Amino acid sequence: MASIDYPIPVRHLITLLKQLPGIGPKSAERIAVWLVQHGTDTGIGLSHALAAIAEDIIECRVCGFFATQAEGCAICHSSARENDVLCIVEQPTDILPLERSGAFRGHYHSLRGRISPLDNIGPDDLRIDELTLRLTKGSFQEVILALSSDVEGEATAHFLVDLLSAFPRIKVSRLAQGLPAGGGLHSADELTLLRALQGRVTAS
Amino acid sequence: MLRSLLLSRFRCFDSLRLEIPQGVVLFHGSNAQGKTSLLEAACILLRLQSPRATALGECAQFSQNTFGIAGSLEGKETNSLRFHYAENGRKLSVDGESQRSATDYLRHSALVVWMSNEDLSLVRGSGEQRRRFLDFMASQLFPGYREALKSYEKALRSRNFLLKRDARPPWPQIDAYTHILDENARILTQCRRLLVESLAPLAERGQKEIASSEENLHITYESASGDNDDLFTTLNARRDEELRRRVTVSGPHRDDLLLSLNDKPAAKFASEGQQRTVALALKLGQANLFLQSRPEPPVILIDDIFGELDPDRRNALMAYWPLASQKLIATTHLDWLDDRFADAARMRVSQARVERES
Ligand SMILES: [Zn+2]
Repeated sequence: MASIDYPIPVRHLITLLKQLPGIGPKSAERIAVWLVQHGTDTGIGLSHALAAIAEDIIECRVCGFFATQAEGCAICHSSARENDVLCIVEQPTDILPLERSGAFRGHYHSLRGRISPLDNIGPDDLRIDELTLRLTKGSFQEVILALSSDVEGEATAHFLVDLLSAFPRIKVSRLAQGLPAGGGLHSADELTLLRALQGRVTAS
Repeated sequence: MLRSLLLSRFRCFDSLRLEIPQGVVLFHGSNAQGKTSLLEAACILLRLQSPRATALGECAQFSQNTFGIAGSLEGKETNSLRFHYAENGRKLSVDGESQRSATDYLRHSALVVWMSNEDLSLVRGSGEQRRRFLDFMASQLFPGYREALKSYEKALRSRNFLLKRDARPPWPQIDAYTHILDENARILTQCRRLLVESLAPLAERGQKEIASSEENLHITYESASGDNDDLFTTLNARRDEELRRRVTVSGPHRDDLLLSLNDKPAAKFASEGQQRTVALALKLGQANLFLQSRPEPPVILIDDIFGELDPDRRNALMAYWPLASQKLIATTHLDWLDDRFADAARMRVSQARVERES
């Protein structure tokens, strides 16, 4: 006897939900069934939101933060920022905690990752060409490296310090210690970030 | 000292609850019944590393991927320690409070000396064996050593990978890792040097006392980081060699502990008996160094060496081990027991069960 399963559209939804981070087969099934049973409004709202993200959200070509096709990048297009300081982070998600700390008013540059040879990630996979282009063209006087304090973050920082020595007029500093290793910036609390920003040290 | 041990799915023990008496405790039984695993569990609980397995996952039972060890430690204060291993991470807690880092956890634990028949490889084996001995000691004495060693090893793996990967090595990336090796090598080298300076006189005296004849043991730490511990400069100067050999040619992973007996290398020129004495002197030196370093005496875990030692060395071991230390001894035979062990507790270990006999 053929076994009975959910109709194909429900199975398709479950398959898609399972691909989301942190969602296992059981959760995927639970969410799908919930949407089927009482979520017509939510479901349609969700599908619009997903379509809007797919159509409109892009990675800012300058800083790497989240931007929209229509409005562009809220950071790069703001006139209220200091144009002489650039803060380099690993991920675009690292930018928000720095913003919330309120201690930094300059521009950002997300690398979209860090050097990790054993994971097959090298400088060519990061937004490093974009960085050198910005430094060549821009008016930056200081670069702050806000990378995580584990081995990959440190290696990326050393790599950048060597690379930035080609720009002798730019002062390079690093966040003082105190950021959690491995967790990146988003697991640091605001006070830790504030202290780290104030205590940044010149990189050599 | 360790007052109790609880094991869950650890090697041959599905579940075990053991009260541990004070002083000398003898775990005896045939081979492969679980004696050594008991000592290993104590070592993992107290130091978060096994003297046997390279990866802790090996301690899990077949088809399982978790195990747990707990126990209470009595000293100045009483702490209950818990260690839970799972494939995707471990959990550490002290008195029910979970600990964020190994360093936080280990602060509440006791120091450990491990003695086994493999100790002879400290004298005869490769430098790797002696570096592991140094690392095991230094991780216990210096906060920060463990972290530095982990970072060093991780950076070394990446650097060696980059040296091998391409026909033309990507030097800017390799240099980024050289900086990290250099920073951590300074910590490792300083700690190892300080450690050997304190250990050497204790082990050298031990050698004289164990050997009935005049035997001059000499222990020297040999750093492989180059002049002034400046590994960055050393590696830069050896770039051609690295290009040829495609491996990191200097640094703490090449350090060694030089052992000489009456001015000759002990590995080559000492007799087997002398070599056994050197190994014993090193371990007793460690025990006495730990005794001096902390208010609480170290826990001494002795795996099966008693039956193998000749009477002279057995007497020497008992004369120079720290009296105040708790000693957990695994042994196959008891025929060497004499009335000095009248007060020792005896536990019989058979088919992963432990029974107190006296
Ligand atoms: Zn932008």
